[in-house]
Amino acid sequence: MVVQQRERELRRGPPRRPGWSLRNYMALFMGVLLTVAVVAGFAVRWMAEGDARQSASADAGYAAQRAANQLKAGFDAISALSTPLAADPGVAQLFVDPSKCGIGYAPVAPFGTGHIDIVGLDGTVVCSSRKGVSSGTFPLYQGQSWLQAPQPTVVAPVVDPASGNQVVVISYPISGQGALVWFLDLAPLGPKLAAELGSGVHQLEFLVTSSDGETVILRSIDPARSVGRNINGQISTSSSAGQPDLNGTQRIYGRSTFDPGGWRVYVGADEAAALSAADQLSNRGLGIIAGGVAIMLMVTSVVYRRISEPVRRLSLVIRGATAGDAVKAVGSTGAAEVTNLAWDFDRLMTTVKNELADRLTREQKALISERNYRLLFEGHPQPMWLYDVKTLCFLKVNDAAIQRYGYSREEFLAMKITDIRPPQDVPKFLELMSAPQPHFDRTGPWRLLLKDGSTNQVLMTSHTTTFDDHEARFVLAEDLTESQQLELELHQSQARAEANAELSKAKDEMVSMVSHEMRTPLASIVGFAELLVTRKVTPEQRNDYLGIMLQEGRRLTALINDFLDLRRIEGGHITMRFAPADIKALIKRSVALIADPTGTPIQVRVPEDMPLVRIDGDSIFRVVANLLSNAHKYSPNGGAIVVGAGVVADMVEVYVQDEGLGIPPDALSHVFRRFFRVDNPDRSGIKGTGLGLSICKNIVEAHGGTISVRSDGLGKGSLFAFTIPLARDVSQMGEVLVVEDDSGFAHLLQAELTGLGVSSIWAADAETAERLMIKKKARAVVLDLLLPGLQGEAFLHRLRSKHGAGIPVVVVTLKDLDPAATLLLHKAGVTAILRKGPGMAETAANMIAKSLTAEQVVIG
Amino acid sequence: MRVRTPPGLLVLRTVVIADDESSMRLLVHATIESDDYCVVEAADGAEAWALVQKHKPALVLLDVQMPGRSGLEVLRLIKADPSLAATKVILLTAKAQESDIESGLIAGADFYLTKPFSPLDLLTRVEEALRL
Repeated sequence: MVVQQRERELRRGPPRRPGWSLRNYMALFMGVLLTVAVVAGFAVRWMAEGDARQSASADAGYAAQRAANQLKAGFDAISALSTPLAADPGVAQLFVDPSKCGIGYAPVAPFGTGHIDIVGLDGTVVCSSRKGVSSGTFPLYQGQSWLQAPQPTVVAPVVDPASGNQVVVISYPISGQGALVWFLDLAPLGPKLAAELGSGVHQLEFLVTSSDGETVILRSIDPARSVGRNINGQISTSSSAGQPDLNGTQRIYGRSTFDPGGWRVYVGADEAAALSAADQLSNRGLGIIAGGVAIMLMVTSVVYRRISEPVRRLSLVIRGATAGDAVKAVGSTGAAEVTNLAWDFDRLMTTVKNELADRLTREQKALISERNYRLLFEGHPQPMWLYDVKTLCFLKVNDAAIQRYGYSREEFLAMKITDIRPPQDVPKFLELMSAPQPHFDRTGPWRLLLKDGSTNQVLMTSHTTTFDDHEARFVLAEDLTESQQLELELHQSQARAEANAELSKAKDEMVSMVSHEMRTPLASIVGFAELLVTRKVTPEQRNDYLGIMLQEGRRLTALINDFLDLRRIEGGHITMRFAPADIKALIKRSVALIADPTGTPIQVRVPEDMPLVRIDGDSIFRVVANLLSNAHKYSPNGGAIVVGAGVVADMVEVYVQDEGLGIPPDALSHVFRRFFRVDNPDRSGIKGTGLGLSICKNIVEAHGGTISVRSDGLGKGSLFAFTIPLARDVSQMGEVLVVEDDSGFAHLLQAELTGLGVSSIWAADAETAERLMIKKKARAVVLDLLLPGLQGEAFLHRLRSKHGAGIPVVVVTLKDLDPAATLLLHKAGVTAILRKGPGMAETAANMIAKSLTAEQVVIG
Repeated sequence: MRVRTPPGLLVLRTVVIADDESSMRLLVHATIESDDYCVVEAADGAEAWALVQKHKPALVLLDVQMPGRSGLEVLRLIKADPSLAATKVILLTAKAQESDIESGLIAGADFYLTKPFSPLDLLTRVEEALRL
């Protein structure tokens, strides 16, 4: 079952866990890659455009410089031709004799077409390179200042009235008579410059303006319409941004100047053309980037397919989990690591599979054995059960047990194993349980309690096992067969015989010991008696002898009494009657008995709030008195004697301490032994039976307490301490309080009351009775007058003053009462005064019962 | 220790009584009181041995069970001491077992009496021992 469940769990696949799959990481990587590519693309484009502009601007500047240089070269060449000519006297002669005119015009690079005139100051042409023009006045020359200028002058653009062309006029003065004037056509100059300098991608526009940038002097594009136009100085070269030319084409301009005239030479590169070149460049860059990205994506995808895909398949296979599938699923196309992983996984799976199969078999076997076991357990004719070793609770019982013992299954399972043992056997059983148990054992015979209260004898076979996680003990309880019973009885009688033999041996020793102890006093008694009988003695001797005989006789009596008491206590023949008692009152009475009025007073140290103890008052009185008597006896030189009590743990400890002879260390462990007496000369005169402490020990142990001794050695005094139980359930005491020091009569009285259905509690002295009344008020009191300590009459008075007259009191006493005393008692409101004697317990009980009913009637 | 010497005369012989019970010492002393010898009492074995060494007594009456040294120990000491070869020993024992008596005799006691004993019987034994 377990295995199948596990398999199901495995197939279900892993639970969702936080974290990214490889696929997610791949996607992220690709995203980043693409973003970088796009950014790079934009950057390339932006840079390419910038480059293109800069290159266009530089190109234009360079072309402008070259154009300026060419123009300057032209002007220089013209100047070189004209200056000597103007100074030539032959030329000046022409103003006198124009017929000698004979000049021709040859183009001076870069200028093209044009002509030369020699003009007089009045504007009359005296000689011209033009065909057919020899002399005459030109409107052009009318009123022109440059004709009179004393130095060469350049004017442009000027419209040649003869041809109507835009021209540049250059005049050189000729010795105050006139001027040599060049007319050079401007229109073809621009295209010519462009043709020479303007090759290349930038489709350059050559533009020359006047020094103020206002008037176009020449232009390579559309010169016919452009030259002479006013452009208001709109051309700027301050930025590489394009600006429209005269035709509206966006251009990037470079500029230069040259003399004469400070003409500005502009060269404009076609922005669109420049940018289209940049476009081409950037497109190439973008192409490279796109190619790179594509290659990266391809590589990534391949890697992904080689790792992720096999891993995914492997994972699917793992969920399906059959050995050998992994390698098949992953195939040979995966990365080497993945293939290795698959191999390893297959190996692992094989192992797991084998393990699983093994376990399945084992579990199946266990299941079968469990079924067999259950059948055996349930169906077995002998009672069986399982119980928890720790709690001792029943865990399981079979039908035979239910049938045999009469408890139902539910009752069984609610009980502990100790509940079916007779109470007196429980301590022995618990003692056995506290020792380590053999794994398997067979013990008996044990007695077991049936539900109907009868017991049966069984032999128990048991072994340790585990049941539902409990450490359990399996028990088969078989009833003793007749033959087993016989065998057992035989065995028991043998054991009894052995025990008897041992007992008789002990008895023999005892007898020899006792006879020995008795011989010494007897020897004195018999010896002195014989002396008295056989000799004549003086009266003093006689008194001495008789004194010793009496003393030894008493000693013998004490010895015999002690011995018999010890035997009775040890043999359990004394019935202890436990009742709540005031230990302080008891100690005080003991002190009163023992104290030597002439010696050091005995100190009593008992706290005021001492709780009540539960004891047999007479016995404990005897113990305290014995210890006090010892303390006194073994303090021949005096010294303080202290008796005290206190609560220690959940017991009351009573101690008696003296400063007397003390006990040597090696004797400490023997002082409670019978007839043991410390063997030391310092106490050779002190008499004792050697039984007192032994009796004390027995009494204390019968109370469930312990007795102990401490002494620092000879001469250092000693301390005896014993413990007795606290009276716990005082508040649940009975209705009637019996105050009676005679435990026998008290017991009788209680039995009679119980017979009448009245519960009672007994106090052995008036002090205890008072304490009990404080704890819980009794409904009636049976009172003895002759009590140890506080007397009955005094108690009665205090009862009346504290609790009023409502409580019925029956006095039962041996005390002889005179009429006055009787009257006093009646005045105190006693119900009756009975004289202790046979049958009187019954009478007293009946009276009490009646008084209780009467009270109820009154109340009712 | 109390020494009771007969009035007047020289003390010739000494008898030592050793018993831890004073009443027993008194009984024995009263029983064997005589003008013929001096009686010395010891309350335990050690004291008894000291007195025996001091007085070299003619007779020692030893209680077997005493604090300190037991009667039997004192008996062995006496028997082991050559200077005490003439000293007679009578054991007084409360032990009635045969084994005790035997061990007493083996140790060299001249006689033994078990408690309670007859004083007259004791006197007879003492006189016998001293006459021998």
